Amino acid sequence: MRFVWTTALKDWRRHRRNPIEAAIWIGIPLLVGFLIALAFGGQGGHTPQAHVLVADEDNSFLSQLLVGALSQEAAGGFIRAEEVEQDVGRLRMDKGDATAMLVIPEGFSQAVLLEEPVALQLLTNPSQRILPGMVEESLSILADGTFYLHRLMGEDLRTIAQGPPPGATVFGDAAVAALSVRVNQLTQRLGEYLSPPLIQLETSIDEDQEEDDEITFGFLLLPTILFMALLFIAQGLSEDIWQERTRKTLRRVVVSPQHILAFLVGKIMSGAGIVFAVCLVALCVGYAYLSLSVTTLPLALVWATLSGAMLMTGMLTIQLFATSQRAGNILTMAIMFPLMMVGGSFFPFEAMPKWMAAIGTKTPNGWALQHFKGIVLQQTDPGSLGLAFLGLLGVSTVLFLVCAWRLRRGFAQG
Amino acid sequence: MIEVEGLRKQYGDLVAVDDVSFTAEPGAIFGLLGPNGAGKSTTIGCISGLLKPGAGRVRVLGHDVMTEGPLSRRKLGVVPQELALYEDLSARENLAYWGSAYGLRGSHLKKRVNSVLELSGLIDRAKEPVKKYSGGMKRRLNFACGIVHEPEALLLDEPTVGVDPQSRVRLLDLVREQSKNGATVLYTTHYMEEAEHLCDRLAIIDHGKIIAEGTLPELRAMLGERDILRIMGKFDPNIVFETLSQLEDIEIVQADEETITLATPQASTRLSDILMEISEEGFEVRETTLTQPSLESLFIKLTGKELRE
Repeated sequence: MRFVWTTALKDWRRHRRNPIEAAIWIGIPLLVGFLIALAFGGQGGHTPQAHVLVADEDNSFLSQLLVGALSQEAAGGFIRAEEVEQDVGRLRMDKGDATAMLVIPEGFSQAVLLEEPVALQLLTNPSQRILPGMVEESLSILADGTFYLHRLMGEDLRTIAQGPPPGATVFGDAAVAALSVRVNQLTQRLGEYLSPPLIQLETSIDEDQEEDDEITFGFLLLPTILFMALLFIAQGLSEDIWQERTRKTLRRVVVSPQHILAFLVGKIMSGAGIVFAVCLVALCVGYAYLSLSVTTLPLALVWATLSGAMLMTGMLTIQLFATSQRAGNILTMAIMFPLMMVGGSFFPFEAMPKWMAAIGTKTPNGWALQHFKGIVLQQTDPGSLGLAFLGLLGVSTVLFLVCAWRLRRGFAQG
Repeated sequence: MIEVEGLRKQYGDLVAVDDVSFTAEPGAIFGLLGPNGAGKSTTIGCISGLLKPGAGRVRVLGHDVMTEGPLSRRKLGVVPQELALYEDLSARENLAYWGSAYGLRGSHLKKRVNSVLELSGLIDRAKEPVKKYSGGMKRRLNFACGIVHEPEALLLDEPTVGVDPQSRVRLLDLVREQSKNGATVLYTTHYMEEAEHLCDRLAIIDHGKIIAEGTLPELRAMLGERDILRIMGKFDPNIVFETLSQLEDIEIVQADEETITLATPQASTRLSDILMEISEEGFEVRETTLTQPSLESLFIKLTGKELRE
């Protein structure tokens, strides 16, 4: 037993003196997590906004109404309109200062009221792809709005556009009153459809969906990054058996009075210790950041540590059956990356197609990860959790026995 | 004591060790001499328990290595040919780890670690990582790891390969010291001079078989090797040739007016007779040189090839 402990201590010392190794194990998952958070717009990102320069050559009430409509909050606030002189605007567009430039020609207001053809000129920035399209779409919606307004109030609009009758400077009281009455009647008629909109929503509550809605993106990322780190650690630590062999230290153990199994247990213990330390830090940070219930932390820590030890023993088994160190590395890498991708340790299951997530939960890391989430969210009942623990220990024991058999049957003597 | 009887080890069709038998006594250094690939390391592997013999019996300090493995290994020290060290750890940490593998602990372990660090001349740099050591220092540490637990039997598999002369001398002194302290030492090498100077008893192994065994004089005698006697002075080569030819078992290799070279067994015991015969003829002898034949020449005679081939 003492040799188990001294072997574990010896390995801890060795790994502690190799900071690059640890940086790879932890750094890559953190980097990948950061990139995924960026790609999925995780937290703290700004809503993209289109910057539209408007050259209003008409300078009428209607043209100002158009500028206001473009940048109103109801449009999602994704357009910021800035009025400029046309020549200044063109210069700024040449420099790529804005998403688009809208030129409202002189006579725009009159043309709209009389329903005559008029062309708005929209210059877009070719270096941007999505935002100019959105601006164009917004203008198109406004144009459609104008068309329908004409269908409803075309006569009155034309009357307004033509101005007071010949010989008068303003509309007479009777004309204004008649126009007001028609507008009021129209508003009342449309009101029952538009305010509130006559849309009936049938609502049904999907309980699972409701639970998922409570899970933040940060929570989805925590187990993903943690299990990615566990896979990296498992692969890295498993490779150490080849170091022991090539440095002939494994032979020295074989010729000592100690049993090779004690050495193997010591190595796995040291690996489990490293996994425990990484999990402890990751979970403490994660729990604090995501405000998770601390009562689940010890169990989550034990589960993650045992899962890491199981993954390490699995990788070690593969290394022990490889014909060379190089072959062992290629094999474990070739197994690790697909496991990572499919098993929810690169992308969260929630971001995967359902069929892939279903396969992923059957992988060793995916299975362990699902249980880990269950523990953290307190969604696992003690019975099934107990079974899962038994399963984890069972698989680990089988893998350990296979490793021990292979070590004694030739690997250590090589 | 290390007893090997009829040891055989086969890898597929290749017989690495074939019917090897010898006994290494306590307090003596037994040399296993042979070229690379002769079967020395395989023999050491079978004795240390690293390899399972195909046939035969190996006993270390009275314990059968097959049936009493851990017992036989407890007091056995092994210094492998390759460096078997943790380069990230210091010399002290390496020694402490290997000492603990042999059951040392606490103050006794610390004492032994300090003692072998002192012996191997590494005490001043004991805290440095081994990767910063020179090749010779690593060799000495490799040796120290094999003796940290004060073994009663010690297997040394070519421990001086690739070592600078200074470290070699130090290592050989360490080996002698182990033997002086009563340990049974089995030393394999392909360096003839090393074997000649170090070993009390020798076995020459080639193609997995022991082709000769004994003390150095026994080996020479067994092989009929002759000492070389060179006599310098003033001679008449014809008379000298005629006179010495009458003596039994003397081969005149070369003779001229200033030098006579003779080959004869046990030349040191016959030197006075030879000198008397020469002086009776009235010739003046100024200097004599007696050279015993080397193991290299013995090996050539036995196998028809040089040891380093």
